[in-house]
This record gives sequence, C-alpha cells and structure tokens, in this order.
Amino acid sequence: MDFSASYRDANGVTRGHNYELEVTLSGKVDPRTGMVVDLKDLKELMEREIEARFDHRSLSDDTPYFRERPATPETFAQLIFELLDAALPDGSLHRVRLSPTRDLTVEVTR
Amino acid sequence: MIRLTRRYDFSAAHVLAREDWSPERNRAVYGKCANPAGHGHNYRVELTLEGELDPRSGHVLAPGRLDELVHARVLRELDGRFLNRDVPWFARHVPTAENIAAHIWDSVAGGVAPARLVGVRLVETRNNSVEILGAEDSA
Repeated sequence: MDFSASYRDANGVTRGHNYELEVTLSGKVDPRTGMVVDLKDLKELMEREIEARFDHRSLSDDTPYFRERPATPETFAQLIFELLDAALPDGSLHRVRLSPTRDLTVEVTR
Repeated sequence: MIRLTRRYDFSAAHVLAREDWSPERNRAVYGKCANPAGHGHNYRVELTLEGELDPRSGHVLAPGRLDELVHARVLRELDGRFLNRDVPWFARHVPTAENIAAHIWDSVAGGVAPARLVGVRLVETRNNSVEILGAEDSA
C-alpha cells in the first residue's frame, strides 16, 4: 500500500513522504479457499486501519499517536504493526515493512 | 523486533584476478572479469541494523550516525576508485562481490552501537547480488 503523510521532526520542521507499506501475514492455507487470507478483506482492513488514519494527514497534528513520542520511521512502523496486529486474527501478522524513501526501510516483526 | 535498512550507492572499478596465478588460470576462474584493464559497476549496498527503539529519540540509531559512518568508512574508500589499486585491503583480497560485502561489514560493524549490524547486501548488477547475514546470537 502507498500513502502520503507529513510529520514534524525533532526540530519542529514539517516533512513529508510517499510511504510504501508492505504487510506480510502468515498462517495455514484454508483448504476450502486455497488462501491464507482473503486479499480483499486485508485490503479493506488496511484502508480502514492505515489509509483512513494517515493518508494525506500530519502524523504529528492530525493523529493522537505522536503527542508523547516523536514521529520517526521507527515509531511509525511500530505503530502500524500494533494497529494491524490488533485488527487481524491472533498472531497472523508476521511483518510490517515501511519505506519513507527509496533509501530507508524499517521492518517490524514480533 | 525492529530492523532498519539503509541503502547507499557507489561506483567502482575492479579486476578479478590473483597475482599469484597465471593469466590463463585467472581467465579460467574469473572469465571476462579477469581482464587486466578492469571494468566497473554501479554498486548498491543495503545495510540492516537491529536494535532497541530509544523512547526519547524514537530511533534505533541517531539519525545521521549511520550516514556519517558509511561516508567516512565505506564510500570515501570505495566510491570512484579502482579497488585493486586504490584500496589496500583489495591488494590482498580479490574484489569479488563477496569480498567487497565482507569488507563493508568489517568497516561498519564496529561503529553502530548500541544497534547491531545484522545484514549487508551488495548488489553488483541487476542479476548479481551477495548478502551476508549476521548470526542471531552475534550480539
């Protein structure tokens, strides 16, 4: 999933990125459907949990998550992991990869 | 667990050949890469760090620390160079992708505390890359 957001850095300067987000689930293949997860359900869940919260918003000003902690690639990736982990079936979230730029990727696993 | 991967690019020339081997043997082992005149690549290196998130800074490693380290210890030494001639370590080690990746690992690993270096991936061409992964208990 791609989305765009801004944040205020440690010096109060507003910065923004096109974020690339990769989410990996793991689990057993459902013998009926042949799928680990219905990608349509996952897409809707990611639109609800991530895109609706963060796309074209300021992480620092438009969301409640970065009042007490700085918005960095690391804290943002960790928050995304926590939000998706809470919304997905128990233990099915394997990995979140967040790339604010081509040259930086943060990966969160359990 | 949190991991951070940072990408850097550099260009360098090299020859794959051992001085103690005959031209024929070098040609047999390294093929066209043994051409004594050298050839070059646009290299991409991806360094992966693992560590604890500092709750105050929100970072695994202070921003800029890795960039400074890589510029000082890796890019300054390798970028725009003829590795065999310009970099002392490669006078003793054939500058294969494997050895370049290992040399980058050795140059960076000691400087990223409190984070740990857990991966070096060196992309030599679109078709050819090398990855070194640290043992999980190497911390």
